[in-house]
Amino acid sequence: MSTEATPRPAGTIYDLGYKRYAGARRSSATRWRVLMRNQVATAWKTWWRYRSHLAYAVGTTLIAGAVMYIFSERIARSLIGDKATTFADAALPLSIQWYTRAGFLVSLTVGARIVASDIQAGAFTFYFARSVRPRDYIIGKLAGMCVLTAGVCLAGPVLLSIARLGLSSDTDALVHALALVPKAIAIGLLGALVFAAVPMAFSSLLANGRYAVALWTAYYLVFGQIVSGIGRGSQGWIGALDIATSLDSVAFHLFGLESFPGRAVNVAAGPALASLLVHIAVALVIVSVQVRRAQGSGVGGAT
Amino acid sequence: MSERPALIQLAKLTKRYGAITAIAGLDATIDGRIIGLLGPNGAGKSTLLKSLLGIIPYEGSARVLGLEASTHGTEIRDRVGYMPEQEAFLAGMSAVELCTYAGELSGLPRTEAMQRAHAALYYAGLEEKRYQPIEGYSTGMKQRVKLAQALVHDPEILFLDEPTNGLDPRSREEMLELIVDLPTRRGCAIVLSTHLLPDVERVCDQAVIMHRGRMKFAGTIDELRGARGPELELVVEVKADAARLAETLGAAGARCEVLSPLSLAVTLPDATTTELVFRGAREAGLQVRGIAERRESVEAAFLRVIGVEGEDKAA
Repeated sequence: MSTEATPRPAGTIYDLGYKRYAGARRSSATRWRVLMRNQVATAWKTWWRYRSHLAYAVGTTLIAGAVMYIFSERIARSLIGDKATTFADAALPLSIQWYTRAGFLVSLTVGARIVASDIQAGAFTFYFARSVRPRDYIIGKLAGMCVLTAGVCLAGPVLLSIARLGLSSDTDALVHALALVPKAIAIGLLGALVFAAVPMAFSSLLANGRYAVALWTAYYLVFGQIVSGIGRGSQGWIGALDIATSLDSVAFHLFGLESFPGRAVNVAAGPALASLLVHIAVALVIVSVQVRRAQGSGVGGAT
Repeated sequence: MSERPALIQLAKLTKRYGAITAIAGLDATIDGRIIGLLGPNGAGKSTLLKSLLGIIPYEGSARVLGLEASTHGTEIRDRVGYMPEQEAFLAGMSAVELCTYAGELSGLPRTEAMQRAHAALYYAGLEEKRYQPIEGYSTGMKQRVKLAQALVHDPEILFLDEPTNGLDPRSREEMLELIVDLPTRRGCAIVLSTHLLPDVERVCDQAVIMHRGRMKFAGTIDELRGARGPELELVVEVKADAARLAETLGAAGARCEVLSPLSLAVTLPDATTTELVFRGAREAGLQVRGIAERRESVEAAFLRVIGVEGEDKAA
């Protein structure tokens, strides 16, 4: 719907008392923070972009926390013995796949359209005609995405690991559980980085947000399922190309759950970690190249 | 007291894209209040703007406000506002959010950016509409938002790229009023890149004309119109029989063109003055009712400078 400006007498110019700005300007090295803040604020504004996925992650945390609590109780231990402790310990690593899904959802609604939408809207002109450099743009957008994905991939596991500490029955259990915190941080950070950087790379390849989302979805779900299936059949490293499988594999390795009943890991932790790091590195290179290319053609390009 | 550097200083500025030379060896010092940057498509205007903003590398030197664009691009962009021709908005934002964001990206603290965003939007005529999402704005309102976002960080120079494109006559008039008002009220110089030569005629005091990557003219609008040569051209109005006066003046060495029964255009020979016209009128027994210098339109001057007439003839 189009709206018209309120008519005013021709030749009337309103000025709220203009004064030249005499204060200090912030260093151009801080621009990425402005971009990051805006990225988070924009995602937060619409419920389906982020808040719904955060609610999903919070739900996962509550359920995993409840499982952890129930199996830590004396009654559970008296009923199923040592298995209760095993299940209480397994609640955190088993929940990682649910956080992974939340991370993927955030990547769909925010990450995969982040650069494409800017290209589509002509926002590169808006950014690069100002004292924003390509690296400020990349760092700002990536940091913003990391904050968002960390909210769903990192916060939950860390809270669960702290909860596990609190539920320790004795000092030995507390010392054992203490190691869970850095492990939860490590896997959470890895997930947050993967779901921030990789979809952003896909979004920088296309100048249309919807196409970028479709491409990323096809890569993550279709290509991921195919390589995961091949990996399962061949027991080779190729399964590591599936991001979800790799995250599961690294998580299970970190928490020592490779042999947990019904949770066979198809990919060794080494190739899985390498695959995730390569995904992140390649994604950053693609984003960097694409943004630098777009910068040169953005300003004044239409005349 | 330090002297203010010229707005733009170019020295052998050249930009090549592979085998194509987009701008070739530009040398100029450009200063003034409102400068029209003119040229047909492909003249090199956009490349010049990109070079001045320090966005693309170049050969030679391009200084803006005394700063070399290749090494001080970010400082220059903090002191320069750019209003693009094409839409350059962020999805889902209101005008006030966009302008606040623009101010922050130009280094203003958040509170200051927000205050200035409101002031800039009010100045641009958006008043209460500033809280609505930009997607629902009309073309005229979008142009106003583009102007406001270019103004919000208090620039010393504003680059306006086709600011009146797509506007209805009333909105165009209001935009031109704002452009004329800006240097006076806000003390910023304006570089106006446009194809609409009547706009240039209306608001600019300086003009830069580019054609095929070369600078064909840089100077005042009056110089542009008067750059034809030393001959003085006049429009003379008489009470009767302009043709008879044309004959008399022709005999005295002037070139005359009868425009109507009561008026004629006269090109005086070198080193003569309007006295020649009055003398001729006395000899012909005619009464001169008006005499004025014949002003070439900016459009005619532009076409002459880029040599379109000559090219057409050659073709």
